[in-house]
Amino acid sequence: MGGKTDVWQGTLALMILKTLQMMGPQHGYGLARRIEQTSGDLLELNYGTLYPALLKLEQEGYVRSRWGSSENNRKAKFYELTKAGEKQVRKAAAEWEQTTDILARFLAPNAEA
Amino acid sequence: MGSFQARLRAFWMRLSIRGRRQDDFDAELESHLAMHIEDGTRAGLSPEEARRQALIRLGGAEQTRQMMRERGTMPWIEELLQDARFGLRMMMRNRSFSVVAILTLAIGIGASATVFTWINAVLLQPLGGVADPSRVITLESVTPGGDMVPNSYPDFIDFRDDLKLFDGIALTRPNAFTIGMEDHAERVWGELVSGNFFSVLGVKAEAGRVFLSAEFADAPGKFPIVVISDRYWRSHFGANPSIVGKTLRVNQHELTIVGVAAPEFHGSLPVLGYDLWVPYMEQSVLNGVPEWMLRNRQNRNMLGIARLKQGVTIDQARTELQGLAKRMALAHADVSEGMSATVLPLWKSPFGAQGQLVGPLRILGAVCILVLLIVCANVANLQLARATVRESEFCARLALGARRMRIVRQVLTETLMLTLAGAVLGVAATPWLGQALHYLRPPGMALPTMMDTRPNFAVLGFATALCIFAAVAAGLAPALQVGRLNLSSRMSGGGRSGATGSRNRVRKALVACEVALALVALVGAALFARSFQSTLRIDPGFDPNHVLLNQFYLNTNGYSLQQRKEFCLRLAERMSAAPGVTGVGYSDGVPLGFEPSWWEDLRIEGYSPQPAENMKIFRNVISPGYLPLMHIPILEGRNFTEQDNESDKAPLVMIVNQAFVRRFFAGRDPVGKTVHGWGNWFRIVGVAKDSKYHYLSESTPPYFYVPFRQVYREDMNLGFYVRSQGDPGSVLSTLRAQVKSIDPNVTVYDPVALKEFMGASLYPQKVAASLMAVLGGLAVLLAAVGLYSVMAYWVAQRTQEIGVRMALGAQPRDVLRMVVWQGLSLAGGGMVAGAALAFAFSRTVSTLSFTGGAMGTSVSLMGSSATDPLIYLAAAVFLCILSAAAAYLPARRAASIDPMKALRTE
Repeated sequence: MGGKTDVWQGTLALMILKTLQMMGPQHGYGLARRIEQTSGDLLELNYGTLYPALLKLEQEGYVRSRWGSSENNRKAKFYELTKAGEKQVRKAAAEWEQTTDILARFLAPNAEA
Repeated sequence: MGSFQARLRAFWMRLSIRGRRQDDFDAELESHLAMHIEDGTRAGLSPEEARRQALIRLGGAEQTRQMMRERGTMPWIEELLQDARFGLRMMMRNRSFSVVAILTLAIGIGASATVFTWINAVLLQPLGGVADPSRVITLESVTPGGDMVPNSYPDFIDFRDDLKLFDGIALTRPNAFTIGMEDHAERVWGELVSGNFFSVLGVKAEAGRVFLSAEFADAPGKFPIVVISDRYWRSHFGANPSIVGKTLRVNQHELTIVGVAAPEFHGSLPVLGYDLWVPYMEQSVLNGVPEWMLRNRQNRNMLGIARLKQGVTIDQARTELQGLAKRMALAHADVSEGMSATVLPLWKSPFGAQGQLVGPLRILGAVCILVLLIVCANVANLQLARATVRESEFCARLALGARRMRIVRQVLTETLMLTLAGAVLGVAATPWLGQALHYLRPPGMALPTMMDTRPNFAVLGFATALCIFAAVAAGLAPALQVGRLNLSSRMSGGGRSGATGSRNRVRKALVACEVALALVALVGAALFARSFQSTLRIDPGFDPNHVLLNQFYLNTNGYSLQQRKEFCLRLAERMSAAPGVTGVGYSDGVPLGFEPSWWEDLRIEGYSPQPAENMKIFRNVISPGYLPLMHIPILEGRNFTEQDNESDKAPLVMIVNQAFVRRFFAGRDPVGKTVHGWGNWFRIVGVAKDSKYHYLSESTPPYFYVPFRQVYREDMNLGFYVRSQGDPGSVLSTLRAQVKSIDPNVTVYDPVALKEFMGASLYPQKVAASLMAVLGGLAVLLAAVGLYSVMAYWVAQRTQEIGVRMALGAQPRDVLRMVVWQGLSLAGGGMVAGAALAFAFSRTVSTLSFTGGAMGTSVSLMGSSATDPLIYLAAAVFLCILSAAAAYLPARRAASIDPMKALRTE
């Protein structure tokens, strides 16, 4: 896996965690749609990458999954945040904000000039 | 993103089967697609189009599944587990093969790990419980002649106060103490140390404290305190912490126990274990050593330990030390003219066991590597033979689409499993193997040895490295062979493909290597055994048979000098009168013993020494009975008598040996000449025949004797000898009874036959010779097994060819000869290479030596026999016979082949 994917995976994981935090338990498809909506449809997600990311988060203990039924009475796997996940969202969000903050400082003077 | 814990958890989840199940993935993807398609149709797409869109957005169902599979588990670990499981099954199926391979590997790895344990304990981590040991070095004084000697207390004070590149310099002197009294008395070994001893070594107290800086002071008798070892604390006080502050009766004086040293610490000399540490200046009280003697610059009997300042190299420190020593030699020219000093890494110190063990350990290390290489060659050989049997299995796997690397890895994994099993067995055996050194311990050495032979991290790490090395060494050739398997020719060919031929070449080369290595080991073992034998045959110049030796430590009984002399006189009188006793004597030094020999600076009438000539001459302080008891003849003049005593009327006298006469009197009669030592002039009254003093293999040094009653001092030892008509043990009970009747406080601790005690001087050679013999035998045995397996296989492969030969009229005799000849030619090639190797090896080894107590002189481990052609020839002949025997067994099978049967199976 190259550096690009890693960054992407990192941000994707944060998006997933944040979305789960906002919406509560959600299945994979719903998560994908929700992430796209939140991004104002600027983001076109390759859904295939979502599932390994979810699996990784589950292995790391940040989310847990169980089978349930969707709003349309369809069998679907639901993901929800664990306690460790809650903590991780706060931590990762703070880190991300700091990163964008720093980057913004670099970019701002150029924009004015 | 993700903490370490999270990553660990993920790793564990992926390892365990619980990762996630395949059908679970499928169901989830199914549900995802269904929902997506539903949304698509609701937006007005046809079901087909909706499905197409959904799959596109997913990036392909199968690809996603694969991604999840890879994330769900760890593919390489899974494959490894598969390989291991399969390997285990193969190992179980071929039990005899596995047992042979694992056992030989266990021997090779176990022997190497054991020797490494010793090397580790003696050379690499000689001092346990010491902080930052890499900065701890030894400090030795150097005589004008370049010999290394211990230090005197005044020199130490100058070193301690004036050197800038050291964090501290401490002194120690090993010493025997008596603890308790009368029937409860016990002899314990400890060290007399300068007050800063513990702070220089950085040793902490386990209970109580070590010496305080106030106690570093140089005040005789002012600090009646003692630090005890953890071992003594546990064995005598049940590890009771309240012992701190209590008193301990040491040498009939009460000392306060201030603390217990850290458990790992067992004194400042490697291998040896000490139990007490007492301030050096307490000697005036404990041993009755007068203060002037402690402060005498010529009284060089203290071992120096120094700690380098952070970042200072040993060379910088040595330069500074030598500068100071030069100034000191000028300032105290009367006693220190030409003296210098040096610092050395601990393992190079000429004092203590490491000096004796370095040489033998190096050789043992080398031989262990030889044995391990032979073992690897053997296992590689077995693996190759098996690879042939398993060729069709490998080919089937290749044909079914296995990658070549996968099969190569399979072979390597199997080899690794074998070596791992061998390593586990071998390491488990090291504590027992490690004890072997104790069995070879010289019997007269009373000092307890402390060698931690339990496997520690260093040893485990070493064994792991060995294991991987062995796996690669033994697995590489078979793996490469498998990697080159030719699928098409193998599947169609049936029997004799090109690969088989090249594999045979590899196997033959391996066996030739084994034979070569075995020859090296054999020649090495023979050389050591021979030089040990020839050393044993050297005439010591005195007669140690029928002599019982006991060393007394009377100072530990609170005896004054006069009382000690009286004790000796009375005991000698009583023992002489005892039945069965033919001679009694006593002396300071014991010949050919373990302890260092002492010397005196002499000036000799009529002899003007060269500048910087070493005038420190070895000596012994003896009773009149000593020379007759030892059967050392007086060649000129007379022996000492009881009239040569301490009274003012009796002139001081001396007996010298022949080497002394040759060097200082050019062979002319020295009787009547005078010699200056100990601040007085002695008159030579006799010449004794040369004998051996420190090592059997030494070239006789100049040596002299002075009367016990005239020269014996508080800091000298006391060896008491009784010659009996029969077995020396027969007079032991008499000795015990007589000693007890003179003073019940005095105990006969370790009586030993002098003959056995002399073994101490042979210790390094004995260790080298015995262990080399064991390893050499092992190497030869392994090589024979290797040769046998190759020949047996060769015969099995050629059954048909032999059948044809016999059908065409070859006699069983011819076949026998052919096979044996084949085996011998294989071994012969190896032997030529081995002889060259062995020659180079023995040349290196013959330069190795061990250092001993006599001013750090080095003694060669192996006499001059390194190039003895007879040994090479004998070893080669022996190996030839063995090779012939190893080839003969398969040859007999070959000769008994029934041509009809052999051809029918074609």
